[in-house]
Amino acid sequence: MKIKNKLLYISTPAKVFMTTLIILILLSIIQGISIGIEKTSIHLKKRSFQTKSEKKLTQEEKRIDRIRSSAKEFIPDGTIHLICRLEHLSDGIDLEQIYDANDNLLWEGPSDKRPYEYLSWAKHLRRYREGFTKSQMKDTQMITTDFSRNVRIPVQSDNKTEQIWRYLPGKQYFKGYNASGEKIGYVGSNGFTDLKSKVKPFGEFGLFTAWCPQDASSPTLLWQTQRRIYQINFEKQEVETIFKSTDADIEFERTSLHAWRDLKPGEKEYVDPNKYRPLIHYQTGDGKLHLILREPKQQFSLSVPRASVTATKQDIYARSVGSDSFPPEDIIKSQGLYNKWLKEHSGKPRNLWTELYKVDNQGNLELINRYDWIVPPTSSYVTNARDARPIVHRSVSQFSPPLYDLIMRLLGRKFLRSIFAYENRGDFFYGLAQMILEIRPYKGVINRVLSAFMMVFVFWHGWPRRTSWARFVFWLVFAGLFNIAGLLTYLALNHTAVIKCPVCSKRRGLAQLDCVRCKAQLPYPERGKLDLIFSV
Amino acid sequence: MRFSTLLYKELRECLPWMLLAAIVLLTLGSFFLREQIHYRNPSWYYSRLSPGTIVESHLFTYSSILGVTGPLLLLSSIGLGLVLGIRHFWIPNFTRTWPFLLHRSVRRKTILTAKLVATTIAFVLCLGPVWIGLYWYACRSTIFPPQTLKNFIEGWIFIILGLVTYLGTALSGLSSAKWYTTKIFGLVFAAVVIFMTFPQCSLFRISAVIAASAAILLSQIFQIFGRREF
Repeated sequence: MKIKNKLLYISTPAKVFMTTLIILILLSIIQGISIGIEKTSIHLKKRSFQTKSEKKLTQEEKRIDRIRSSAKEFIPDGTIHLICRLEHLSDGIDLEQIYDANDNLLWEGPSDKRPYEYLSWAKHLRRYREGFTKSQMKDTQMITTDFSRNVRIPVQSDNKTEQIWRYLPGKQYFKGYNASGEKIGYVGSNGFTDLKSKVKPFGEFGLFTAWCPQDASSPTLLWQTQRRIYQINFEKQEVETIFKSTDADIEFERTSLHAWRDLKPGEKEYVDPNKYRPLIHYQTGDGKLHLILREPKQQFSLSVPRASVTATKQDIYARSVGSDSFPPEDIIKSQGLYNKWLKEHSGKPRNLWTELYKVDNQGNLELINRYDWIVPPTSSYVTNARDARPIVHRSVSQFSPPLYDLIMRLLGRKFLRSIFAYENRGDFFYGLAQMILEIRPYKGVINRVLSAFMMVFVFWHGWPRRTSWARFVFWLVFAGLFNIAGLLTYLALNHTAVIKCPVCSKRRGLAQLDCVRCKAQLPYPERGKLDLIFSV
Repeated sequence: MRFSTLLYKELRECLPWMLLAAIVLLTLGSFFLREQIHYRNPSWYYSRLSPGTIVESHLFTYSSILGVTGPLLLLSSIGLGLVLGIRHFWIPNFTRTWPFLLHRSVRRKTILTAKLVATTIAFVLCLGPVWIGLYWYACRSTIFPPQTLKNFIEGWIFIILGLVTYLGTALSGLSSAKWYTTKIFGLVFAAVVIFMTFPQCSLFRISAVIAASAAILLSQIFQIFGRREF
């Protein structure tokens, strides 16, 4: 008997938890469908609006639009040209017009016959094709129906795989196997070793990119961790430390390469090594841009925000893009200041500019050229409303539990920012938090009124059926915290039939013997003639 | 003695389904695995690497050859869980045979424990050895590098998910509510747990989710089975 009672203490909360979870999931599915339909309709409306407005542009508006969408390129003497793409002709070739800074047409024709040669710049690694990111590394470790995977680097010889090096994310180093499946050694930050005790971890993984040099069919890796960058050649069994940051973490999304990889002509990212020096640039958390060059080896830092760099055989150049539509760093930190700044700048044309600098061997910058242009105001609006979501989205969120607001408040701003971080994409719990954030009621008045209504309903329904005060109060609070999901859970677990009390004539539940109002016992059936037989 | 008799009876009821699941998993699993071993060797796979080119990142993360057996193991496990749950807790409702089982001079808890132990044994004996066999076969193959221990543990997680499905089916079968209200919640909860398991990478987190959900289902099953009038 005692065990049964103890079990009740576990099974009842378990039942409440299970039912609430299922009802919340069903509710969020319905909310998600409504929000999805609204988003699709807004997107369709926007597209039709854009098509209509494009047709109505004046000559001057068309000119401004052309300048805005043109690529701004520099020739090595610092002259800027605006390249406007008119139409796509064939693979990688467009019909284009080239204008000078004064908007004079200089040339028109297919892009492969351009009479000018522009500086080519270091580019960010493209995710999924060139760069293998932290988020992808996490994806490989996720359990799917095909099981989790791991990163494996092959070493090829005569079109035959001789070795495979498997990355162990927990231990942060590689373990190698030969074609017979035997262990051949380890690769860590201290290089290649055949003993596990000697290998040192690379550090927390950030990003890698791989290419096969022109003289090999085995990949070479540029391996980036939180503080270091390595170049690993598995075939030659070499690990070279390219960069070491002592003061701040490396920002994974801002890694750019130029002529660094030994690619064959014709490859999409091929850069002529006779014209350019191999270069990598990274940005660290302290805002510094670190430049690593080869032929000859050179390394220094720049302090140009949002810059891209290139190094010809003669000079080093940096190009930056600026705008008065980027809020200053100190304003971003405060939500209030940011909203105020956004309000001041909304509906006004934005000024943009691009600057070309020449960089000397100490990292000093010399401005060579600058080009400014104006972009017309966008149709986006700024609102002071606490909840600026579209109407259906806002309305369906009113049915969400007010508890979501409380949870989000307790989790704090830092967590809220991490929900949308690229490396947390695909994680179940961050996904759940993102969903809650999407459908949270944002302290909506209607939400609070609905919650109060749910409480009133629970009061009305539960009063004649109450078996204990604690239980009754619990369900009242529960309905208040969970809104409609709370009410449905309450009804699913507490609905019992009611009868009219024969003494006080008021409604009473059948879950307990005494009437909650007059304390009269439940009526017994009258004794009949056959009771003696049936009661045995 | 009473418990062992009940256990024997439950195991006898499980036996045809155990055999069916084991045969399906063994036949199809070994066939798919053999195909993979035969056709997928690293030299062929990495033949796309050519000098002077960028290597696309997906080339480094090809799933292991055991991957082909994953969906089959999961389906077998969930299928066995569903069938045994229906056999143990739904069929006696339809055939009205609960009183025949409950009238014996054994406690309800003993009857329920016999059912649960029989099912656990059924899962371990029928799917466990086949999974160990498939893993061993994949490790012995000419494909290198060898399979990881993590994949082996994940296979066992798939087997345990079948047990969670069994518990969900049992709870739904025991519930006296209407099918369109909370009766179906046991099964829905098991489905939610299975969905929660997949987009995660920490084995510890998955184990915690499965243990917590099994405890939630078990506590309700014991409570309902102890009190319900059949």
